[in-house]
Amino acid sequence: MTDRLALRTAVPPTAGGEGEAWSGPAWVPTRALGRAVLLTGLFLLLGVALGRVDLVLMAAPFAIGAAAGLRRMPRSAPELTITADEEHIVEGGRVEAAVTVSNTDVIPYDLVVLRTRTSPWLKLEQADRPFAITVPRDGWYSVQLPGDAMRWGRQPVGPAAARVAACGGLLACRPVVVEARGVRVYPVTDPFNATEAMPAAAGLVGNHRSRRPGEGGELAGVRPFAPGDRLRRIDWRVSLRTRDLHVAATLSDRDAEVVLLLDVLGEVGLSGGVAGSASVLDTTVRASAAIAEHYLQRGDRVSLLEYGAGARRLRPATGRRQYLTVLEWLLDVRPDPVEVDETDHDNVFGIHHLSSDALVMVLTPLVDPRSADMLAQLTQSGRYVVAVDTLPPDAKVTGGGNWTPLATRLWRLERENVLGRLREHGVPVVAWAGAGSLDLVLRDVARLALIPRGR
Amino acid sequence: MAKLGVQIEAARGVMARATAVPFLVRAAVALGGLIAMGVAWPAELIASQLIAPLLVLVAIYPAVAPRGRGATFSAVVVVGGWIADTVGAGSRVELWRVITIATLLYLGHTLTALAAVLPYDAIVSFDMLGGWLLRAGAVVLVSAVLTVATLGLSADLAGGAFVLATIVGIACAVGATVLIARLLRRA
Repeated sequence: MTDRLALRTAVPPTAGGEGEAWSGPAWVPTRALGRAVLLTGLFLLLGVALGRVDLVLMAAPFAIGAAAGLRRMPRSAPELTITADEEHIVEGGRVEAAVTVSNTDVIPYDLVVLRTRTSPWLKLEQADRPFAITVPRDGWYSVQLPGDAMRWGRQPVGPAAARVAACGGLLACRPVVVEARGVRVYPVTDPFNATEAMPAAAGLVGNHRSRRPGEGGELAGVRPFAPGDRLRRIDWRVSLRTRDLHVAATLSDRDAEVVLLLDVLGEVGLSGGVAGSASVLDTTVRASAAIAEHYLQRGDRVSLLEYGAGARRLRPATGRRQYLTVLEWLLDVRPDPVEVDETDHDNVFGIHHLSSDALVMVLTPLVDPRSADMLAQLTQSGRYVVAVDTLPPDAKVTGGGNWTPLATRLWRLERENVLGRLREHGVPVVAWAGAGSLDLVLRDVARLALIPRGR
Repeated sequence: MAKLGVQIEAARGVMARATAVPFLVRAAVALGGLIAMGVAWPAELIASQLIAPLLVLVAIYPAVAPRGRGATFSAVVVVGGWIADTVGAGSRVELWRVITIATLLYLGHTLTALAAVLPYDAIVSFDMLGGWLLRAGAVVLVSAVLTVATLGLSADLAGGAFVLATIVGIACAVGATVLIARLLRRA
């Protein structure tokens, strides 16, 4: 369902009238200016009326102060910029952010009050307090905000606002606001090592041995020469012995495709950042990064797919560039729920997107019943499926009544039931616990490749 | 009752977060006001139990609410007391009292202007505070020199002081009017 596109005219209308009016934030007199003028006038009047020089002299500092402060008026506004270093920041790593105020005006800014907001997952020192600084004429001042990044994702630094009081506190300007700037924080990955062979390697260039003959590196014996064989492959020793041309046969190198299917139908659990508890999305993203890193290092192709309303996907590729693309793609993982519609029993997405030779690793908390259906459907279509259980073991429902703990236990028992049935159907379900949790499972999956497929 | 509890919690939060410098600025405003009251008002009125607490309240109020009209009112009360002392009680116009009152009134005015724009939990750079105090000090110094010169002159010129006051007063009133007109035209 798309809205009608709002079309723009090809030639933008001249913004003459509006542009002139907005020449910067207005500088308004503060109450201090009113007070200075009022007291000066009052004391002068009293001095003249009562014939008292001392009263006139009491008005002198106010008059001199106001005159000295207002001898030059401000003409423009302060400029704010937010900077954050662009290095590769991982969860738990240092972030160096800064907010810079620059003064392009003809007068110095006596007081600039700077306030910033930051994402709750960036623990920047003193970023929750306003800063009171002074910026000289044609100068700038940079407020440093170093800190730590506590969770993966695109964390915003900002927006920031600055209010200026100039001319000795007699004039103030309305706040100047600058937009937030995103800092990319990549998920932390435990080193993950699965040493087992891939079940079905389909591509023709890669690291895996295969059983099919083809051009490649691994020798598979010697066979008689057939038309079409390359002359370089002639094995002269055997040919001279048998007086017949023989060639060395090779096995083709193959690569494999791994599809990581991320269940983002819902978020369960409270995220505590890198140092605290992990929610479902935390575990999903960190596990995906670790698994993708492992398989990409071995030269296999990895693609990612989201099981949610948006169904984002990342096309398969290999190499370090794909690893960096995977990390960028993972930063945008968000809960993407799909409303339960009783009349619509179709899948959230079509499983024909997945090639039938790929190893599908599904990372799901199995909270939504549609996830279990999706897993069963994938297995029945003959694909090699491994399910990684991302539900935190201590997740529980908050609130509710007296029966809530009991209901939660019942729900967990039912879920164990579902896991058991999935295992019976041939879908190994493993809880993610970092390195080594998937080795046993992948060994079983490699054995599964020998069984004829489909049911 | 619940509203009072909420207000107490809010006040406690403010106390926990407040930083030193804004608090010191407000304390300086209160102290200056108190001393100015003490110097300007006649001694017997200050000793009376009715007037003294009122004067203390009026002097301290700008420190609590710097953005309001409290500072103006407080300055007017100080000068009112000074006039009451010199005209009503008949004290002499002494140089040190004039300079003290003028200095404290101006310092109270600039520090109230600073407290009005400085948040209570701000982290203040010392450049900013130093510059502000330096400017205030310069104005106070210039006007003190002017006061000493003028009052010294008026002691010699007896009747000419009135003429001097009139001329200076009119010049400053004209200047103030021009200033206000310029500002109104800009705004």
